[in-house]
Amino acid sequence: MSFVVALSSGLAAEIGLLPEYVRPDPFGGVVAADAEAGVKPSAHQVLDAARGGYVSCHVVVAIPREQAGAYALEVSGPLPVDLYREWFHRLRASQAYYPDALIPVRSPYRSRLPEPDNVIPNQTAQSFWLDIWTPPDAGAGERTITVSLTAGKEVRRATITVRVLGALTPAADVVTMDHNSYGTSWLSAQYPSLAARGGLRFHLSGEFFALIHSYHRLFYEHRGVFHQLGYGHGGKVGPEFAPRLAGTGKTKRIADWTLYDQHYGPLLDGSAMAGTRRGQAPIPFVYLPINPEWPASYVWWDEPGYEREFVNVVSQMERHFREKGWTRTKFEMFFNHKKRYKAFDWDGDETRFPDDFPYFREYARLLKLAVPADSPVQFVYRADVSWQMERQFRELASAINFWVCGGGMFGWNAGYAAELRRRGHIVWTYGGTPPVESSASSITLEVLRPWILGIDGFVRWQTVQSGPDPWFHFDGGGETMVYPGDRFGLDGPLASIRLKLERNALQDLALLDSFGTRRSPETLRAEAARRYNGTLPRDWRAPRPALAETDPLEWSNASIEEAIPRDARFEKLAPGAWQRVRDYALELAREVQP
Amino acid sequence: MRLLLLLWALAGPAAAFTLDEVAAIAEVMVDGDLAKRIQTPRSLAKMVTVDPRDEWAPGDNYAVDHASFLRMKKTLVRLARLCPSACDVNLWKPVPGLADRIQILVRNVNEMSQFWPWGALHQKTPPEMRRVLETGRRELVRRRPGMTSVLAPVSDSLGDVVALVEVVSQDHPDPQENVK
Repeated sequence: MSFVVALSSGLAAEIGLLPEYVRPDPFGGVVAADAEAGVKPSAHQVLDAARGGYVSCHVVVAIPREQAGAYALEVSGPLPVDLYREWFHRLRASQAYYPDALIPVRSPYRSRLPEPDNVIPNQTAQSFWLDIWTPPDAGAGERTITVSLTAGKEVRRATITVRVLGALTPAADVVTMDHNSYGTSWLSAQYPSLAARGGLRFHLSGEFFALIHSYHRLFYEHRGVFHQLGYGHGGKVGPEFAPRLAGTGKTKRIADWTLYDQHYGPLLDGSAMAGTRRGQAPIPFVYLPINPEWPASYVWWDEPGYEREFVNVVSQMERHFREKGWTRTKFEMFFNHKKRYKAFDWDGDETRFPDDFPYFREYARLLKLAVPADSPVQFVYRADVSWQMERQFRELASAINFWVCGGGMFGWNAGYAAELRRRGHIVWTYGGTPPVESSASSITLEVLRPWILGIDGFVRWQTVQSGPDPWFHFDGGGETMVYPGDRFGLDGPLASIRLKLERNALQDLALLDSFGTRRSPETLRAEAARRYNGTLPRDWRAPRPALAETDPLEWSNASIEEAIPRDARFEKLAPGAWQRVRDYALELAREVQP
Repeated sequence: MRLLLLLWALAGPAAAFTLDEVAAIAEVMVDGDLAKRIQTPRSLAKMVTVDPRDEWAPGDNYAVDHASFLRMKKTLVRLARLCPSACDVNLWKPVPGLADRIQILVRNVNEMSQFWPWGALHQKTPPEMRRVLETGRRELVRRRPGMTSVLAPVSDSLGDVVALVEVVSQDHPDPQENVK
């Protein structure tokens, strides 16, 4: 019986389960974006799980308005579970409610409907996200998780049968999902309680660095990577992002590592990830603070002093990293500035003008001078490219070895992927984050695309800006994947449903890719694309447009948009699109003997 | 002298007077002809011509003459080093072809300015700047709490005021601000 029927007939409290790709609303229904899935809550679900991964679902508690009041929700079973209350964000534009932020709660969870802090008039349903962890050493076989609702004298139960398969989800991902951010000034705004406790020295405090580490840890737990750029468009470097320098010209040197080591030490030796289910590991990537104004002052550009300052300091950095044993992280020299922001005369990011290329070559030369050829420290030279990517692939091949490419234009340049891979380069694409009003599977598109195209990852360009009031006047979450926990007394970020969906897709993809020994990679990709949105792998590339044969200086945003064909199969994804890919992976997983 | 005394009185702490000294030096040192050569003619044309199909075209086509920019930038960085505490010396210039519009043309490391709304390619000329351009006199400005600027005219070889510098500092610089 569906909730809607149950509630309208005046029956008692109900508990139900929904698959992860069908997000509930606070009135016993399903959000509009996922409604076409046509799925209703049920009292029982069967979830197949490869070991070393999560399975998830929504638990929905519904209590008729006339009986609104206290309830308790309890989860029990033989596998580790994490329970989260789903926050219903009121969207500023549509006034609709969508769940996204996940507040960790303990079982049994006791509250009442309407949920007091969410303040939703006439709320009759509260949903929860349930993560069930299957440890890598779990034996194959069935496990039952029971979810019990107690409301007044009534008790209702729902059960989840987890069928643990013999297959093991690989620990390593086949696609890097990167979550980008800028600086740390937003932390004091998002954590006013913590910042107030730290006072004027908050940004130098242990609590501040613990907060930064909590972001890395959250993304890591969700199989993702977190980046924080540590300098501005004018070259100002936050003191927590770089060692303190002293001197000028030939005397320029690193004078103090204290803040840098406090910030990065636990991230680069992996200790910041202690206690996570994935285990302790260093972050795989990190921005360096290098920019045209750091460590060398731009006042010396084109003069011997620039090279001396750069090489002095970067050499010291290499030594420090080597001595600390920080050799498993890729340290990125990356230029984010744009000339339109008036601090420098060349575009480091999304370079438009070929006369900026010599700057890239010069920094490659300087980096080579600073870092011994046999250094075990991994310095990489990253460029985020769009307008001129094709020319940059060719003309900066000996300088850049980490390409982050505008997703739209890479569609017609995807043919370069094989060549870049042959060179040993890293290739990611970049773009945004689907807002909550997109169908649930939208967040998985850029998980699948890099794998289909044969590249390494995707960057969501901004993932921590939830807006001035994400709770009651939400702008949709196009620039966030996490939420500040401050409101709930937590000194760290809250995951989102979209982050959970992304994680589950990443683990499915790692599992699917692991079957490349039994099916050809081409077969795996073709079948995944077919099931996902009825496409062929070639549909994931764009045909080379006539525009590509013209000078990029003559292009406009309008002409680029026209050159990228629109394909409804990618623009409106079915809520259950990813579930079909998962089903494929699980079909193959069932062939694996425990 | 009267202006100087007025500035002294308005400025309060010695730092403001020092900003004025820096601005006075900038008035002499900054080359107005060089300022006019920084933005490329193509970039300027894209800036003043509205493309109804591409609102980002002026920014995407923004470009400068490297040598002119670099010479100017180095002058401004050196001037900023005269300040007793962290300051920026920014170059501003009216946009030819766009009446009453001015653009910041060279910014510096701290990204301080009392006038620049972040990301603006050009903007309406603030009255303080208009006065400096019209009178050729320096002007002290405190329009944003905690910030002090001195605006100084920049002249070309014909003696015309063609641009201005903003020497700007902050009472309590925020190390995390503008790291984005």
